[in-house]
Amino acid sequence: MAIAEQRIRREFREVIRSEEVERCRIKVELVNDKFNELKGEIAGPPETPYEGGKFQLEIKIPETYPFNPPKVRFVTRIWHPNISSVTGAICLDILKDQWAAAMTLRTVLLSLQALLAAAEPDDPQDAVVARQYKERQDVFQKTATHWTNVYAGGPNHADDLEDKVRQLTNMGFEEDQARVALSSHNWDTAQATDFLLS
Amino acid sequence: MASYFDDHGVNELSENLTSDELPLVMARILLRFGFADDIWLTTMGSDGLGPYPTAKKVIEELPTQIITKEEAEKKNTCSVCLGHLEEDNEVKTLLCKHQFHTKCILPWLEKVNTCPVCREEFATDDPAYEEFRKYKARKKQRDFELDNLHNSMFG
Repeated sequence: MAIAEQRIRREFREVIRSEEVERCRIKVELVNDKFNELKGEIAGPPETPYEGGKFQLEIKIPETYPFNPPKVRFVTRIWHPNISSVTGAICLDILKDQWAAAMTLRTVLLSLQALLAAAEPDDPQDAVVARQYKERQDVFQKTATHWTNVYAGGPNHADDLEDKVRQLTNMGFEEDQARVALSSHNWDTAQATDFLLS
Repeated sequence: MASYFDDHGVNELSENLTSDELPLVMARILLRFGFADDIWLTTMGSDGLGPYPTAKKVIEELPTQIITKEEAEKKNTCSVCLGHLEEDNEVKTLLCKHQFHTKCILPWLEKVNTCPVCREEFATDDPAYEEFRKYKARKKQRDFELDNLHNSMFG
């Protein structure tokens, strides 16, 4: 059996057994029986805009695992400086040059959860989000909470933001695009409309 | 009299640079002008890991042993494959004392010059990278001495 598959089988038992799962904070599921593609889920950490949300992850295990890191991407849309609001690509050192063969899916998911609790705006994946994080922290908090509500099942509904999205969808724009445009322009409807039309 | 180059633990460059020495010159220029912390991040391999394998000599000299029955009972784990170190398994012990199956640790050290568990750094065969390692060690020592000096004066 290839070392990658053997590793994932062993890790699977570890993640399933670990207490984080019982508290429903992290989860891993198999997608196929080849152990090279998995579905992950992390709960948004408390006292962050992501609280109450459940974020789905796509995890791909390279054949060279654990000598190379797993490829991980957010499937659930999220507003965070180190995660692309468009593709879900993640900027996290341990998924790149700081990977070590002793790390596991469990440590990766816990690191991602920690990333949600402590963004690194100076090493951004999404420059627009990072700028908002640094310059308009209040708007960032509100936007991230709103995205958690809409895409990740978070509890905090924001009527004012929903109204703005609806204004744009009524003009014929697609909902997700309208939300991205508004979020990227600090919820200035005129600027967002200009952006969508340009 | 010891030469300047010996004192600083670096090799003197020949008059006519060979292509092997060019990266070394580049590295020295960048270190000299304070780009030290940026260079190595931008030279990472396309697979995301450092392009610097552990030096062949370091790998060859790693202590190797066969796990005995008594040792196997400790149920120690190899952090690469997550399997136990079982009786008759061949294992290697790194300089940081972390132990792995030989078949598990060799592919890692052939790519990377750190321990998979504690990130202890090992020597490489890359002259430019070695220069950077020496620079980092010197900087650490300097910072430590400055700290001591500061503490002895104001501490």
